[in-house]
Amino acid sequence: MSAVTASSQLPEDRAFKQYLQGRRRVGWVWQSLFLLATCIGILALMALLYNVADGAFGYVAYEDKVDAATISDRPLEGLSQEELVAVLQANLSRGAFNKLDDEQPFAQRSQGDVYNLVLERVLQRKVVAAWSLTDSLTRRAAIEAELAEEHPNARLTFRSWLSPKFLQEPMSSQPLAAGVRTAILGSLWLIAITIAVALPIGVGAAIYLQEYADHTRWYNRLIETNIYNLAGVPSIVYGILGLAIFVRALEFFSSGAMFGVTDSNGRTIISAALTMALLTLPLIIVNAQEAIKAVPDSFRQAAYGLGATKWQTTWAHVLPNALPGILTGSILAVSRAIGETAPLIVIGASTFITVDPSSIFSKFTVLPIQIYTWTSRPLVGFRNIAAASILVLLVLLLALNATAILLRNRFSRRLY
Amino acid sequence: MSITHMGVHVSSVTGERAMPAPAMNGIAIETRNLSIYYGSFKAIHEVSLQIKPREITAIIGPSGCGKSTILRAFNRMNDFVPGARAEGEVLMHGRNLYAPDVDPVEVRRRIGMVFQKPNPFPKSIYENIAWGARINGFQGAKRHMDELVERSLRGAALWDEVKDKLRESGYSLSGGQQQRLCIARAIAIQPEIILMDEPCSALDPIATLKIEELMQELKKQYTIIIVTHNMQQAARVSDKTAMMMLYEDTRAGTVIEFDETDTIFTRPEDKRTEDYVTGRFG
Repeated sequence: MSAVTASSQLPEDRAFKQYLQGRRRVGWVWQSLFLLATCIGILALMALLYNVADGAFGYVAYEDKVDAATISDRPLEGLSQEELVAVLQANLSRGAFNKLDDEQPFAQRSQGDVYNLVLERVLQRKVVAAWSLTDSLTRRAAIEAELAEEHPNARLTFRSWLSPKFLQEPMSSQPLAAGVRTAILGSLWLIAITIAVALPIGVGAAIYLQEYADHTRWYNRLIETNIYNLAGVPSIVYGILGLAIFVRALEFFSSGAMFGVTDSNGRTIISAALTMALLTLPLIIVNAQEAIKAVPDSFRQAAYGLGATKWQTTWAHVLPNALPGILTGSILAVSRAIGETAPLIVIGASTFITVDPSSIFSKFTVLPIQIYTWTSRPLVGFRNIAAASILVLLVLLLALNATAILLRNRFSRRLY
Repeated sequence: MSITHMGVHVSSVTGERAMPAPAMNGIAIETRNLSIYYGSFKAIHEVSLQIKPREITAIIGPSGCGKSTILRAFNRMNDFVPGARAEGEVLMHGRNLYAPDVDPVEVRRRIGMVFQKPNPFPKSIYENIAWGARINGFQGAKRHMDELVERSLRGAALWDEVKDKLRESGYSLSGGQQQRLCIARAIAIQPEIILMDEPCSALDPIATLKIEELMQELKKQYTIIIVTHNMQQAARVSDKTAMMMLYEDTRAGTVIEFDETDTIFTRPEDKRTEDYVTGRFG
C-alpha cells in the first residue's frame, strides 16, 4: 500500500529523467549568472586600469619660449650640474638667481633639479597639449596635423609620465618637472606610524574583548557593538575629530613645540597618522577579534588542562595561531588608510610642498592628496601626472597586500 | 633515575607545600553532594563519589546525563563555561577544590586531562611535551628536558614510534598516536589524577586497544577517571564504575549506582543500571 503511494508521488523513469534535466538546466542558469557576475567585476577592474594607463602614457607637445640652441651648443640633458648652474646664472637676473640659491643652495641641488629649473625658468618650457595613450596609438597623423595648425613651434614626443624621474623629483608647478617623491615619502611615513600606533592597540583590544571580557556583561557587549559600528563611520568624520583633537587641542604636541620644533603648526605627519590610526583601529580590532575567535577552542582547553594561566595560553597558543589572520586583516585595514583622502584634507595636508618630510613633526603630503590636487587643476598635463601617481599608489597598495599574503603564508605554513 | 629530579623542579615552583601530603584514608579525590548549575539550569544533582588512588574509575550513562560535566568539575574546567557554578565539595587531600582560596590553575596542574578529540598543540612533538613543564616552572637544563620528554613518551607507549621525529609537528601523527601524545603531555607534569573524557571515541579499534593497554600501565602510578560511552570499554578497563542517569524530578544528572565494575555489570542493585548495561535502553 505504502509502496504504491510513494511511486505515485515520486517521479520514476521518464518523468524522473525530465525532472533531472530541469534541475540541471536551473543549475546551469545559476552557474552562468555567477560567471557573469565575475566577468562584470573583472571588466570593471580592466576599465579602471585602462583609464589610468590611458592618461599615464601618450604624446605630449611642448613649446619652449627660448630655443635651447641659443643657450648651449650641447644638448641640455648632457650638461653637468655645474654647467647647468652656470646656464642659470647667465640667463636669470641676479635677484632671481639669489632667491633660488636662498631657497636651497645650488651646491645641494641635484643635476635633475637644476635641469628642471633651467627648463622652467630659462627655456620657459610649457606643455601645450597632451594626448591619451589610445589617441597616441591610433590617431598619430591627425595629432600631427592638429599640432602643425595650432602650435607650429611645438615639439611632439611620446612621453611616459610615469618614469624613474617622476618618482625621484619633488612637486613642481610645471607638470613636466613635477614628481611624487615627497608624496611617496609622506605616504610611507604615514603608514609606518599608523601601523606602529594602531596595530598594538588594536590587537590588544581584540585580545581583551575576545579572551578576557565577560560576554555575559551588558557593558562588554555594548563596547563590542560600538566598535563594530565605528568601523562603518565615514572617514571624513575621523578627519574632523583629528582636526579638533590632534591639530587644535594637542597642537603643543603635534606641532612638536614641546620638543623644541618651532616652525610648525599642528598640521603634521603625527596628527595625520594618529587620525589614520583612529580610523583603522575599529577595523583592526574587528579583524583581529575574528582571527582570535577562529583559533580552535581545543588548543585553549589543552593548555588550561596542563595548568596554564590565561596569559600563558593566550601568548603561547592563541596569538601564534591567530597571527596570520591578524596580520592579513590589519594590513588590509592599513591599506584602506593609504588611499584615504578626505580626513587628510580636513586635517590640512599640504597640497604643494617640495621639501621631504624629515620627522614626525614635518608638514607633509601623501599620494591621494597629490592625485586629488592634480586632477582638480585645469592646466594641460596635470591630468596625466595624476594618472601616473594613481599607478604609483596602486603599486604601493599591491606591494602592501602582497606583503600581507606572504606573511600569512609564511606563518600558516609553520602550523600543523 | 631523574624522576625525583624533575619532581623537585616542577613541584617546588607550583607550591606542593600548599597541598598537604596524601591522606592515609586511601581516597584520591572525593565529591560530597556536588551539584553543578549552568545559570539557573541544574545539570548535576548531589553527587557523592569516593575515588580510590591508583584505580581506574569509569563513569557511564546515557547521552546528556552530565558525565563530562562531572569529569570537568574535578579539575575546574567548568569554570570556563559562563554562568557555571558548583555547590557542595570536591575534596582532594581533605581540601575543598572549590574553596575561595584555591587557584584553579594549581588544581589543573595536579589533575591532568585528556580530551575526546586528540588535540595536540600545532607545535613539534617535543614542544608538545616540554611546554607543560616549562609553563609550570621547569628549570632543568636541556638535558633534563630531553629526559623528561623521553620518559613521558615512554610512559605513553609512544617513544619507539616517534623517537626519530621529535621535531615534527604533532599533527603528523595518526589519530591514535596523537591521543597518546596528549596522554604523554598530561603525564609530563606528573599529575596525581588523570581525567579522560571519552578518549577513544574518535579512534579506530586498534588505536583504542593500545590506549586501553596504556591505561593499565598508567594506573600503577596515577589515579584515572574515564568517561566512556562504550560499556565494553568500561567493563574491560575499569576497577570501579559509576552509573549516571537523569534524576527524574529535576532532569539533572546524578550517580544512581557506584560500585566495583564487576558488580555493576553482573549483578547491579538498580534496575535502571541493569537495563542500561544489558543494552535494553540508552
